Amino acid sequence: MINPKKVKILVVDDEITVCKSIRQAILSDEYEVDTALSGEEALKKDEEAAYPIVITDLMMPGLSGLNLLERLKARRPEVNVIMITGYPTIKTAVQAIKLGAFDYLPKPFTPAELRSLVGRAYKKTGIKDKQAEQIKMPSGLFYMLGHTWLKLEKGSIGVVGIVHEFTQPLTSFKQVELPEKGIFIAQGDLCGKIIDEEGLVHRIWSPAGGRVVEVNSKLKDEPGLLKSSPYQKGWLFRLETSNLEEDTTGLILSK
Amino acid sequence: MRLPNIGQKFLDQPLRVKFFLSFMAVFTFGGIVSLFFGIRLEHRTIFDLAQAKVHHDLSSAWMVYNEKLNDIRDIVRLNSGRESVERALRAGDRKALEAALFRIRAEFGLDILTLTDAAGRVVLRLRNPGVFGDDQSLDPLIRRALRRATVVGTEIVPRRELLQEGEDLARRAELAVKPTPKAIPRPEFREENGLMLKAAAPIVDRDGTLLGAMVGGILLNRNYDIVDRVKDIVFKGERYKGKEIGTVTIFQNDLRISTNVTDERGQRAVGTRVSQEVYRTVLQEGNPWIGRAFVVSHWYITAYEPIRDLDGRIVGMLYVGMLEKPYIDLRNRVMLTFTGLAVLCTILLLVLLNMITTSMIKPLRRMVTATQRIAQGDLDHKVARQAQDEIGQLALSFNRMTDKLKEANDGLLQWTRTLEKRVEERSEDLRKMQDFLVQSEKLASMGKMAAGVAHEINNPLTSILLNTHLMLEKLEPSSPYTESLTLIADETTRCSHIVKGLLEFARQSPPQKVRADINSLLDRTVQLLENQAAFQNIIIIRQLQEDLPPLSLDRAKIQQVFWNLMINAAEAMAKGGTLMITSRLAADGRAVEVRFTDTGPGVPREILNKLFDPFFSTKSSGLGLGLAVCYGIVQGHLGAITVESEPGHGATFIVRLPVEDQAHS
Repeated sequence: MINPKKVKILVVDDEITVCKSIRQAILSDEYEVDTALSGEEALKKDEEAAYPIVITDLMMPGLSGLNLLERLKARRPEVNVIMITGYPTIKTAVQAIKLGAFDYLPKPFTPAELRSLVGRAYKKTGIKDKQAEQIKMPSGLFYMLGHTWLKLEKGSIGVVGIVHEFTQPLTSFKQVELPEKGIFIAQGDLCGKIIDEEGLVHRIWSPAGGRVVEVNSKLKDEPGLLKSSPYQKGWLFRLETSNLEEDTTGLILSK
Repeated sequence: MRLPNIGQKFLDQPLRVKFFLSFMAVFTFGGIVSLFFGIRLEHRTIFDLAQAKVHHDLSSAWMVYNEKLNDIRDIVRLNSGRESVERALRAGDRKALEAALFRIRAEFGLDILTLTDAAGRVVLRLRNPGVFGDDQSLDPLIRRALRRATVVGTEIVPRRELLQEGEDLARRAELAVKPTPKAIPRPEFREENGLMLKAAAPIVDRDGTLLGAMVGGILLNRNYDIVDRVKDIVFKGERYKGKEIGTVTIFQNDLRISTNVTDERGQRAVGTRVSQEVYRTVLQEGNPWIGRAFVVSHWYITAYEPIRDLDGRIVGMLYVGMLEKPYIDLRNRVMLTFTGLAVLCTILLLVLLNMITTSMIKPLRRMVTATQRIAQGDLDHKVARQAQDEIGQLALSFNRMTDKLKEANDGLLQWTRTLEKRVEERSEDLRKMQDFLVQSEKLASMGKMAAGVAHEINNPLTSILLNTHLMLEKLEPSSPYTESLTLIADETTRCSHIVKGLLEFARQSPPQKVRADINSLLDRTVQLLENQAAFQNIIIIRQLQEDLPPLSLDRAKIQQVFWNLMINAAEAMAKGGTLMITSRLAADGRAVEVRFTDTGPGVPREILNKLFDPFFSTKSSGLGLGLAVCYGIVQGHLGAITVESEPGHGATFIVRLPVEDQAHS
């Protein structure tokens, strides 16, 4: 689905090299990329153009990335803001997601990683709100807005999956990469990758920290389960959580 | 200040000497005093008794003397009253008188017997009838008799008178004065007068007409009747060493005229004289002399009394004396006995004293020895059981004291040892704490730095990574730059991993502790790793102690520690080996120890203490944070992680995790 009209993307970073590099990476037929070196400049430019996708650094002098996110969301709730940061902490990531950020990308990243995110955001902008209400999240799950969920089983064991909003813009999956059994991951860590048919890589952030004790091996053969049954058969892995109490405070509990 | 010095010297002497000297002083003083007074008393008693006896003996002598006088008076009075004498005197018949009285004079031993007429003219001298007619009215006795009194007395008779009685009588009275020690010198060499006991009585006829007077007498000079009689009566002839003990003397003035005192040759000492002192007291002052006196050649205990004539003039002395020598000897004997006894007693007392002091000092000596032993630190020394007296009690108290002392000392020693141990423990704790703090500080500052670095580096890394990829995208795959750019992209990714590791390390969160079984954690970790490629050639042996107390720990974090240690061990044994995993309760029971022992090359000594430092790595790949993270986690559990290694013999990593304190859980 190609939009004949180019989508406008605003890149905000206090370092001009970063701005230029990102612009180069995503500049394409679909996207028109502008840059801003501060939050204030970004707001000014947004007033003129109303960008549907904004990529902003988290830590900037003056107006910070989070402030900018707030202001933009207040202006246009449908705006997709991708947070990038050189100092990723779970706190800021969780905060950003809570404030309605589309996704969160730690620096440094490859053009592919960035493009997949932008691509997903681009696709999301094309979906009408009415279509989005086919699947509903079951209650009692802890989740990161638009990303992953955590369902607690007995003890400290939890099951991790991807919320339906994440996969909605994607049509089909070529490959699902999952963590190795036994490794440790922290909340907000990269815990998996989904590669779609276009070759775009979509990164998955773990909603909680702990040791991976079991991986959903069915996804290898049937990656489509991620979309068809995001809260049952499409689970990613089982986690023996290590820091549950703190981790859940940053998550939203579904009703 | 001599005296205090002597006193101090005395005080400094051993107790034994002090005792000895004190007792000696008391005994000597007492002995001398009692000896002195004893001897004096004895002396007094003996001599007083002797003196009293002598005084009494003098009375006896007087009795004999006066008896003699009375005898003469009786003879004169009886014969003056005879009728035949009266008649013959009246008739002036001298022949008849001589016949009547001649026998009387001879019979009674009278030296003179003379008759006078009423005028005092001598009618008849019975001793010398040829001489008569001389006037004797001035004679003190005849004068009194002519006044019709019968009198008796001791009279000095001049030589002239004696000559009238006869040459022989005068010669008897005549004495050569012998020079006598202690006597008053006298110019005369001879004494020619005599001393006579005389009695006179009147001759009166029946009508009461005084016819005349009769006078009789005995010359005392060289007449030893009285003195020898007194001696016989009083002293009964006692002798001492060949010498008469008792002596009696009649003096004419100061001259011995009748005596049984003998001179050096054993002759009666007539003609010798009295000592000066007696002379003065008795003859000049008229007082009796009672006391010691030097008689002729020896000392006597004496009594002298004056002899007076009818007119009261002192004409001589009567003397009784006892030889002093026997008394002196007696006194000396007694004194000697006394002294001997005293010396004997002193010696006996000294021996006794020695025994007493020894018996008293001995326990004290033992105490002194004991205190010395104790002062040298031998607190086990005991004073032997003693008598129940003060010293015995002292010994008992002393033993009790040393017991207490030993107790206290042992306590102190014990305490010191405990204290030392405690200090050691505390020092060890402090050292550990310091290590901990140093390590913590290292970690903390490292974390801060990592955060800053990560932020700053990530921006350029972003540009590099993005642009490299962009270039790669634009190049043909066959381009010669592809390889280099891919290398840049990979290395940049590696940089980003390093930064990520740093950030992870900087973001260590506090452990979420739950109760967990350490053995099951180990088992699970081993299960997860067993099938990994790195463990292909490694044998894992588990020796896990059962019934370990449950620990309170963050399972994920501790599992990560085990994971890291096992991966490390596997990497150390790339060519294969054995990993021994043991778990056991530490010796002190306060912690569980988990050991990971590999058979790898071991850790060089010089890097042993750097192993846990962040970014310290011996591997070409790897961040050097694995062990630092382990260290942080174990530290977060109040545990400890250490390493032991002998180069060439593998290494052992020991994780100590504290057992949950039951009292605080």
